[in-house]
Amino acid sequence: MKIMNTVIDAHDVSKIYNKETIPVFAVNNVHLHIKKGEFTALVGPSGSGKTTLLNLIGGLDNPDSGNVFIEDLDITKLSANQLIEFRLKNIGFVFQSFNLIPVLTAKENVEFIMLLQGIKKSVRDARVKQLFREIGMDDKMDTRPAQLSGGQQQRVAVARALASKPKFVLADEPTANLDSKSASNLLDIMAKLNKDEQITFLFSTHDQRVIDRARRVITLVDGRIVSDTAAVSTKHENANVQK
Amino acid sequence: MAWRNIWRNKMRSIIIILSIAIGLFAGIAVLALYKGMMKSRVRNVIDSEVGHLQIHNGRFKKDYEPQFILANGAGVLKAVSKIPEVKLAASRSITMGMLATPTGSAGVQINGVIPDLEYRLSQLQKKIIKGKPFDPTKKNEIMVGGKLAKKLKLKPRSKLVLTFTDTAGNMVSSAFRVAGIYQSDNAPLDEKNVYVNINELNVLLGISNSFHEIVILLKNDADVKKIQLVLQQKFPVYQIDSWREISPETDLLVKTVDQYSYIIMFIIMFALAFGIVNTMLMAILERTREIGMMVALGTNRIKIFLLIFLETIFLTLAGTPVGIFIGWVTTAYFNKHGLDLSGMGREMMSSFGFGTIIYPEFPADKISGVLLIVIGTALISCLFPAIKALKLQPVEALRR
Repeated sequence: MKIMNTVIDAHDVSKIYNKETIPVFAVNNVHLHIKKGEFTALVGPSGSGKTTLLNLIGGLDNPDSGNVFIEDLDITKLSANQLIEFRLKNIGFVFQSFNLIPVLTAKENVEFIMLLQGIKKSVRDARVKQLFREIGMDDKMDTRPAQLSGGQQQRVAVARALASKPKFVLADEPTANLDSKSASNLLDIMAKLNKDEQITFLFSTHDQRVIDRARRVITLVDGRIVSDTAAVSTKHENANVQK
Repeated sequence: MAWRNIWRNKMRSIIIILSIAIGLFAGIAVLALYKGMMKSRVRNVIDSEVGHLQIHNGRFKKDYEPQFILANGAGVLKAVSKIPEVKLAASRSITMGMLATPTGSAGVQINGVIPDLEYRLSQLQKKIIKGKPFDPTKKNEIMVGGKLAKKLKLKPRSKLVLTFTDTAGNMVSSAFRVAGIYQSDNAPLDEKNVYVNINELNVLLGISNSFHEIVILLKNDADVKKIQLVLQQKFPVYQIDSWREISPETDLLVKTVDQYSYIIMFIIMFALAFGIVNTMLMAILERTREIGMMVALGTNRIKIFLLIFLETIFLTLAGTPVGIFIGWVTTAYFNKHGLDLSGMGREMMSSFGFGTIIYPEFPADKISGVLLIVIGTALISCLFPAIKALKLQPVEALRR
């Protein structure tokens, strides 16, 4: 049954590598529900399946079993071209190594998704200005990525992910290549955007600073969810209600 | 974005742009050389061989029988000369015969000409390499081609005998003395044609003041069809041929060489295509992660293909104006000063009917065709890299 306000609903999702030889469960029967406006960290050791799970939720990869619902749509049933269209309209991505397009300026990088969506120039300009103000980089709009620091590039990547107001943002180790000051600054921005624009964030991380800032922490080990702070909170909430 | 992508690796892009420019220059140079050669060949045919148009008795050209004269030829010649588009019209008496010397003999076409008119019509005087033009005070003089003279060991003042049949079918022989030896840019024609005075030939043929052919030079090449039509309407009983019909091999050569030059252009661009494919493949492989990211963000496959196609087009077209400009400058220089191909041998060139100095001409009429070939090359060159890019799976591409 669909849970009210659920943005991401993964049902019994598995992803197996090396099926022909020694099968490895990158993601093993995972059930996951993320509600609108959540700020969730997906944590776990290297190889625990964080990135694979994000890829499955983002429609970048197909699960071997199970279904991924985004709102009420099962994206595992979509064709490759439908998935591209779906990602464009619904998901924002932030990658570990920024992945900005080097030949475009910071402004053009942020504008890129909106251009693909065919959004009018006046609307694009207004949104770009607003986002650059929010990430505190108004003066760097016309700078190419190579001239920006790692932290600045990742802020631009976050702005790009948010430009078209997606249903949720998937961030794969967004602070992995940043120094502590830049990481903290980026987290402030992400938290503020999460609060102000009610955009759902799901990010994988090793970084304790990020984990500390998350409102919900899901721990993966060997492709399975071994703990989820949301479940603990719910139990506490239920206990308080009974009292 | 596509334009900016080209300049990510400046050196690589400049090398491929220069290759395209040089390839295009080479193609244009070949086209210009062929155009110059063909123009020179056509000019030779018109100005020193057959003129723009010729008028004959409808039955004459079948067997060159001397009795098939142009009836009322003088009247026709007068009427033709009055047409404003006509620069010059001259009569010729023609028969086939045998030229014999003490050392040998050869079959020839004997052209009876009015020397002063013939000098202007076929530049005969300018082609003399040994001896002198016809001397009005001397009788039975003959002009022979260089190749024939060499074959029969003829020199100026050498004596020879021409034998042919007259209008009654009787064998006629007459002795002639070589006045001059001429050499044109068409060796086979030199070997076959001899020139004598029309009055002397007419007496031997027994056609008094009649003749077999009117050769017409027009003021403008473009008027050939128009005047041919006018003459056909005016003189329906005669056969009116343009230079294309008289010298179909030249017409065919012009058309064939046109196709030939495009084939050469194709070969050059085909070779260049490999360079473009290599460059684009390198560009795609270097950007695997970036392209994967673009697909992950929602860039559809059509846009990815368009991006690669535009990059290839820009890369190709960037070299195009450079190649065309160098081609134009070089062609303009040689068009003015001429390109001396005597190193290839005058005999070889003249055996194909070409002079040794060629004036290449910029093939402006073929530039649109050349551009189409260039764009076609870019399109074909981008296919392989584009397919490679379209096959990228975002997850795998992002891992690299």
